[in-house]
Amino acid sequence: MVVKTLVLVRHGESQWNQENRFTGWTDVPLNETGKNEAKAAGEVLKEKGYSFDIAFTSVLKRAVHTTWNILEELDLHYIPVINSWRLNERHYGALQGLNKAETAAKHGDEQVLVWRRSYDVPPPPLEKADKRWPGNDKMYAHLPREVLPFTECLKDTVERVLPFWFDHIAPELMRDKKVLVAAHGNSLRGLVKHLDGMTEDAVLKLNIPTGVPLVYELDEELKPIKHYYLMDEAELKKKMDAVAQQGKAK
Amino acid sequence: MLSSFLTLVSVLVVEFSVTPCSGFVLLRRPSARPSSRAGLKMQLQSVQPLEREIQRVEEDEANAAAGRKVKHVLTLIRHGHSVWNQDNIFTGWVDVPLAKDGEAEAREAGQIMKAADIKPDKVYVSVLKRAIQTTWIALEEMDRMWLPVECNWRLNERHYGGLSGLNKIETVQKHGEEQVHIWRRSYDIPPPPVDKHSQYWPGHDERYKLVPEDELPLSESLKLTKDRFMVAWQGNIVPDLMAGKRLLVSAHGNSLRALVMHLDDISKEVIPSLNIPTGVPLVYYLDKQLKPLRHPDAIEPLSGQYLGDQEKIKARIGAVKAQTGAK
Repeated sequence: MVVKTLVLVRHGESQWNQENRFTGWTDVPLNETGKNEAKAAGEVLKEKGYSFDIAFTSVLKRAVHTTWNILEELDLHYIPVINSWRLNERHYGALQGLNKAETAAKHGDEQVLVWRRSYDVPPPPLEKADKRWPGNDKMYAHLPREVLPFTECLKDTVERVLPFWFDHIAPELMRDKKVLVAAHGNSLRGLVKHLDGMTEDAVLKLNIPTGVPLVYELDEELKPIKHYYLMDEAELKKKMDAVAQQGKAK
Repeated sequence: MLSSFLTLVSVLVVEFSVTPCSGFVLLRRPSARPSSRAGLKMQLQSVQPLEREIQRVEEDEANAAAGRKVKHVLTLIRHGHSVWNQDNIFTGWVDVPLAKDGEAEAREAGQIMKAADIKPDKVYVSVLKRAIQTTWIALEEMDRMWLPVECNWRLNERHYGGLSGLNKIETVQKHGEEQVHIWRRSYDIPPPPVDKHSQYWPGHDERYKLVPEDELPLSESLKLTKDRFMVAWQGNIVPDLMAGKRLLVSAHGNSLRALVMHLDDISKEVIPSLNIPTGVPLVYYLDKQLKPLRHPDAIEPLSGQYLGDQEKIKARIGAVKAQTGAK
């Protein structure tokens, strides 16, 4: 039986992480830390002898940049890189661009926690005229209007990630290709929830650390045999706790 | 000691185009350098938005008289200095990265294309990293990192066969100027082939594992380069153009020669010495038959338009030659 390899990488720190702002579909770049995280992910993959036949990423530059950095480290510039909006981060609706601490101070920690951490309660939606609505972004001009979100809860994100898994990523794995998916916290949660058969409550508690390759070994039916992070346990715990701390009002 | 002397010599060569006499032969390709800040500003100021350029093309006398309209826009970019360019080595399919100034050339090209409103929907590039790095850097500058980038070996540089990895000056000293000139500048005489045990045979490289072995070259002339390039033109690029996509083709000296030879019907006598400067976006305005409309600023024998400071570009076109001038 050929074990299939799927590696997931969550992109690193962006400018807005630093500024503690809700990002979502806003196309902010990686900051220096994020770029180094991408490079480090590539280095550890190289060190451990990983190679890929194809890479999937979102249309947001922080994930694309992460992908390119990994490919550069691995000397795999030439493999196909498929960009899809379906791997985008969860859309944060009218909260996009707002500072997390301020929003928590304004609406209360609890309300923000609900928006951020519930499975099916979305943040307030955008208006159609809002320039933050993807329908007003030329990047999404070729997509039917009805798929473009005004806001998303995690449930929405998972539902729009999975068709891409089934129709594009899974077939490559079925053909024994080695697959890299470089994406975002919530789009990767969508994939992991599906792969591991997680409950809604369980996936809400999942914090995928940034810049650390998460390897899935899959059987011929794409059921996970095992999964592991390419990082030692103590360091890993530190990283996961750091993510959980984000967004609390100071 | 020796290395600092060589550095001094190389600085002299690059900055003042001094050709040292035999002994230390460090002939560098002149003028393929990224602009200073003032220079870049001038480059960007020379650039007009795409819609305005399309207007200029259609208003040009010959085009207007024939009632021809621009239907497709195709931008070509030749990657900049690789680490082997500095050492004047026949590169071909060897996968060397961009040198630092090659990266700067790519950034500049991206900035120029952004200023010119060049907004491709897709990029075609070879499978060689110097072209892919150029693409990534330019896309970042253009804020279009989400574009589909299709890598195709048929856009690769010409394969230099048995000359791959050899220093150009040494090769001249070994085979004589005339023979090397023939290999470099004839249309259909390929350099000596590699055999399948050679490290330079592409069959050893993973990236070509999906290419039938018979199609992998042991050596290529410009003609052979064009023949295999044209398969990608017809099978991949043309369908995308016809589907209305604006394309960026990011490639190499000889694969781009193949493309412009086809677009502008350039003869095989002229094409081998045609110099396409590195890092300068070259825009083609095509009609619905994919025939180019000549741009008012086109430089013979091309009908396309180089973007940027026109005087600087003209100077560079004269200067890209002479890499084997071991005088």
